Amino acid sequence: MKITIEHLTKDFGSMIAVNDFNAVIESGELIALLGPSGCGKSTMLNMISGILPSTTGKIYFDEDDVTEVTPEKRGVGLVFQNYALYPHMTVLENIAFPLEIKKVKKAEREAKAKEMAKLVHVDMLLDRKPKQLSGGQQQRVAIARALIKNPRVLLLDEPLSNLDARLRIEMREEIRRIQQETQVTTIFVTHDQEEAMSISDHIVLMKDGFLQQVARPQELYDEPANCFVADFLGNPPINKTFGVVSNGKIVLDGGCEVELEAAKNLPEGKKVTLSMRAEAIVVDEDLVNAEGTVVETYVMGKEVLAYVELGDYKVRAYIPAEKSFGKGQKVTVGLKKRGVFVFDAETGERLA
Amino acid sequence: MSKALKEITLGRVFIYLFLIAGAVIMIFPFYWMITGAFKSYVEIGQYPPLWWPTTFNFDNFVIAFEMAPFLTYFRNSVVAMVGSVSLCAFTTILASFAFSKLNFPGKHVIFGLLLGLMMIPFEMIIITNFRTIIDIKIYNTIFALIIPFTSSIFYTYILKGFFDSIPDSLYQAARVDGCSNWKYLWRVMVPIARPSLVTIILLNAIASWNSFMWPMLAVVERDLRTLPFGLYAFVSEGGAETQLMMAASTIIVVPMIILFLFARKQIVNGVARGGLKG
Repeated sequence: MKITIEHLTKDFGSMIAVNDFNAVIESGELIALLGPSGCGKSTMLNMISGILPSTTGKIYFDEDDVTEVTPEKRGVGLVFQNYALYPHMTVLENIAFPLEIKKVKKAEREAKAKEMAKLVHVDMLLDRKPKQLSGGQQQRVAIARALIKNPRVLLLDEPLSNLDARLRIEMREEIRRIQQETQVTTIFVTHDQEEAMSISDHIVLMKDGFLQQVARPQELYDEPANCFVADFLGNPPINKTFGVVSNGKIVLDGGCEVELEAAKNLPEGKKVTLSMRAEAIVVDEDLVNAEGTVVETYVMGKEVLAYVELGDYKVRAYIPAEKSFGKGQKVTVGLKKRGVFVFDAETGERLA
Repeated sequence: MSKALKEITLGRVFIYLFLIAGAVIMIFPFYWMITGAFKSYVEIGQYPPLWWPTTFNFDNFVIAFEMAPFLTYFRNSVVAMVGSVSLCAFTTILASFAFSKLNFPGKHVIFGLLLGLMMIPFEMIIITNFRTIIDIKIYNTIFALIIPFTSSIFYTYILKGFFDSIPDSLYQAARVDGCSNWKYLWRVMVPIARPSLVTIILLNAIASWNSFMWPMLAVVERDLRTLPFGLYAFVSEGGAETQLMMAASTIIVVPMIILFLFARKQIVNGVARGGLKG
């Protein structure tokens, strides 16, 4: 089912959690709602589920306007961060509970619940209570319970944040598998970029209630719409430097001149942010864009992480392990096309 | 190592001695009551006190039963207790749910006011309550022992505290699935809160079972009297027949002890659960 969100706003009075949000989510996709804590992504999810009424704006499920529709009539399946399993019920009863509310006959709902349990691989735990399950198992039960009603959309609020690191990777792949098998349109909230990148079809990136960019994961990484998107994605964090356009070059604070093809089209005197991914920087090779000084190197095994001073800034770059640079050594710095962005220093808009 | 072990055991010895002393203090009155129920008139008045009756005779029980209509009193006590406790549990559950999970204007003010009412001792409202039961024409009926006790701010406060500890996501999960408040309350909240509920029901049952002043005022007919009044009858009617009073007391206490033994596991669960929350 396609979800269309138009001018959606949530004003809590003290703060605007979601601000004039527009997005279209295609049917059958797995969407990550990504952003730092407090950016409004959970608010967004709660508005889609209907738990939270919106202040203004519209939400459409396919062609139906569901903005004023109560949660139970929207046909959404919701998985909570803490799973929200009923502690006094067994796994089977938990999964079957949504059907129990709908007054489905016991035999029928238990059969359906068993089918769901099989889908999420908890069919050997049906008689256990939630307390006797591991975090990952509880998560699976919560997903099964959300799916049993054949929801039009499955919503997961930080589904992996309560799990330990290893289980997290396993569960995210499970979420992907279950989503692929059921083909249900799925939206999950996360603040972990790696989680979002690895399993989603599209990422919706938010900040301070504003939509930043909707894109496929690789596209988001390679073509960020603005400075925040470039900052938010990538590990180690992108190198961020400030400078001014002068004679078709970017002069960074501290006087380092960076020759950049893209800078030639920018107006003279424009204040810009030059952001460079560590893997986009080469040191002492044929490609030359600027000159800098090596200030620190850290051996990482297969490569060396070098801090190179460009003007007032120290940028991270990976250099091959066989090369070695001493502290204070002057080097040439080359910038690859991919992974180097110029943003307007004031608005953060992408310039090149 | 062995020294540390020794210290621990010494500390434990003191802890156990302390606990044993506490237990003796708690149990002694019961011991005195039960043994007293089997003593003769002479034995119970003896000095120095006789720790163990020379012969166990059940005569005291038989006489006690003859002197006061205990079966009638027992029936009245049970009816009053079951009536007031079950109605009180019902209103307490509803009120706790409303104050804990529902949002309505003035919620905190109303709850604050209700809590404030707890500061007024029961003795102070006896006269107004008495007037009320006369006005609504239930004076000297069994309803006079039930109706005034169908709600409790104190138990509402306790249960609301427990309801507050149940995460809201459970409520939201149920709402998204189309669960009504009513169904959510009885199918999810109440089963989860069962240990707390059993505790307040038991406390309420004991209070109802032992209540003396109100039943004495609210009903005058002998057929409507409750068990504690039966004891009172011994003082005035039976003179200083202490051994009969002990027998009667034993009869009165036994049902509560049985009730407690049944509910004990639930209460311990409730306490342990509170400690392990998280």
